[in-house]
Amino acid sequence: MAAVLEVEGLTKAFGGLVAVNGVSLSVAPGEVLGLIGPNGSGKTTLLNLIAGTIRPDAGAIRMDGEDVTRLSNHRRVRKRINRTFQLVRMPANMPAIGTVMAGVLYGAGERVRFKDAGYVAAGFLGELNLLLKADRRLDQLTYIEQKRVELARALATRPRVLLLDEWLSGLGPGELEGGVSVVWSLAAQGMAVILVEHVMTAVRALCHRVIVMNAGAKIAEGPPEAVLRDAEVIRAYLGDDDARD
Amino acid sequence: MAGAAKRFPVRATAAIGALAALVLMLAALPWLLSDYALSFMLSVMSYLVLTVAWALFSGTTRLVSLATSAFFGVGMYTVAMLVKLMPLYATFAAALAVGAALALVVGVLTLRIGGMFFVIFGFGLSEMIRQLMVWWEINKTHTMGRYVFVPFDATLIYEHLLGLAVIVFFVGWRLRRSRLGLALLMIGEDETVARQVGVNVPFAKVAMFVVSAMFITLTGALMAPRFGFINPNFAFNPLVSFQVVIMAFLGGLQRLWGPVLGVIPLIVLSELLQTEFPFWFSVLLGLVFMVIVYFLPRGATGLIEDGWAALGRPLEWPRGVTGPLVDAFAWLSRPIFLPRGVAGAIEDLWLKIAPRDDEKR
Repeated sequence: MAAVLEVEGLTKAFGGLVAVNGVSLSVAPGEVLGLIGPNGSGKTTLLNLIAGTIRPDAGAIRMDGEDVTRLSNHRRVRKRINRTFQLVRMPANMPAIGTVMAGVLYGAGERVRFKDAGYVAAGFLGELNLLLKADRRLDQLTYIEQKRVELARALATRPRVLLLDEWLSGLGPGELEGGVSVVWSLAAQGMAVILVEHVMTAVRALCHRVIVMNAGAKIAEGPPEAVLRDAEVIRAYLGDDDARD
Repeated sequence: MAGAAKRFPVRATAAIGALAALVLMLAALPWLLSDYALSFMLSVMSYLVLTVAWALFSGTTRLVSLATSAFFGVGMYTVAMLVKLMPLYATFAAALAVGAALALVVGVLTLRIGGMFFVIFGFGLSEMIRQLMVWWEINKTHTMGRYVFVPFDATLIYEHLLGLAVIVFFVGWRLRRSRLGLALLMIGEDETVARQVGVNVPFAKVAMFVVSAMFITLTGALMAPRFGFINPNFAFNPLVSFQVVIMAFLGGLQRLWGPVLGVIPLIVLSELLQTEFPFWFSVLLGLVFMVIVYFLPRGATGLIEDGWAALGRPLEWPRGVTGPLVDAFAWLSRPIFLPRGVAGAIEDLWLKIAPRDDEKR
């Protein structure tokens, strides 16, 4: 299938440290792409670059062939790229539905009147089993609920490319299953998902393709079984614990 | 559902009717009040517009602006400089244009600064314009002030301010039910998240800053004819900025009508302080501010809402009226137990009041 998002030679340096070094990737609608690698290998930075949270030093990002490299964060949201954050970012003094409403009103979906935004937002919360928590604030939600509200906020802007930064981390076994099925159903709806993840069971279960990063560069790419079986990759970049299972 | 839909317009009509009656009553005040009471109402009305306008921007984005006196002064001084050259209403329009242009420039310049730095910038801006005007008047025009004598008496000023107050309240009311208002609240919470839902953060901030500044400028312009003689030190009085912040905090920023509860007590208080303790005025005002921030973090509206919520709650006496009495008696009849002496008891009490970080865990 034709790629929806293409990234070419993306480079970002912080002072002398090259966090992302000439990374290229592409992802097709309905595909789940995993980004794995040791801590500090530049996965989150790469996600930040694609989402527009920070600007790259070199390289190009194309959405449906259209260059979005120079577009600011909010413009890219309207070009239908959205993300969740590694540490949940949600307004602390606003009910959960408020954030989602903002996504509905400012996102790439069709124009909605302010009066109706609440209903549309409730729909997004409902899909993630959060309807009864719509009026809760950040500190009244559990960690998993916070993560789901953040996902609802991202989904409300109608993304075609969804970037999940360790969205499945910190979940218990039962919750992990639920989380995996949520991501799976999003991909089944035709969304391109890029996920940064340390939970290898989730990566194995979800990803069609995996990219391994180290020190800012891409060192391996392929189907998860093949990449994760590559003993070299495992020992060097994921540690011995993962090599055994 | 149908019942609710039918009932809503009735409620809305009633609310609009009540507000219209209130405005009409306020509009009739100049003919009912003494001159002193009217001048009091003038300060109330002007500070009401200033505070609500200030809260439009600062209450939502939480960027505390001390530039109020800059825009207030620009409005006042533009009128003072132009009043001999053109009709009064043209000077108001000119002031509005100057204020909006200044707000646009300041807004764009301060986009990237936040927190403490934004506060200081606003204060510095006001002081800079004041010094610049003093320098200009002394060296270029050789005056130290300007006379504004126009047939625009207290009654007219009051009615215009009342109209402006109605507009600013309407704008605030609309803002709370709009896309832009939600965006500004998100910006106040977390700019990164605001960007991530697709909000054009710089645009939203500057747009609201300009709207807020226009109301403030126009208030300054309307107040100019009130004072026959205006000099830069008077027009750009930094106290205006501080008082507006104190009033907004006292009233509470959560509700649109909060400023009403903040403005009136503080105007009364400053009238009292200024006549009774003219030299201690600023000190006492500062103390009042500290008390508000410490004890009323959500302002007077928060206090009222808590009270209202408490009224709505059913009273709970699981152990009857005697329960608390039994508790009190038990507490009073505890044996005094001082294993580490009085000094130890004081130490324990002190630890309870100000726990050390390592003791909290």
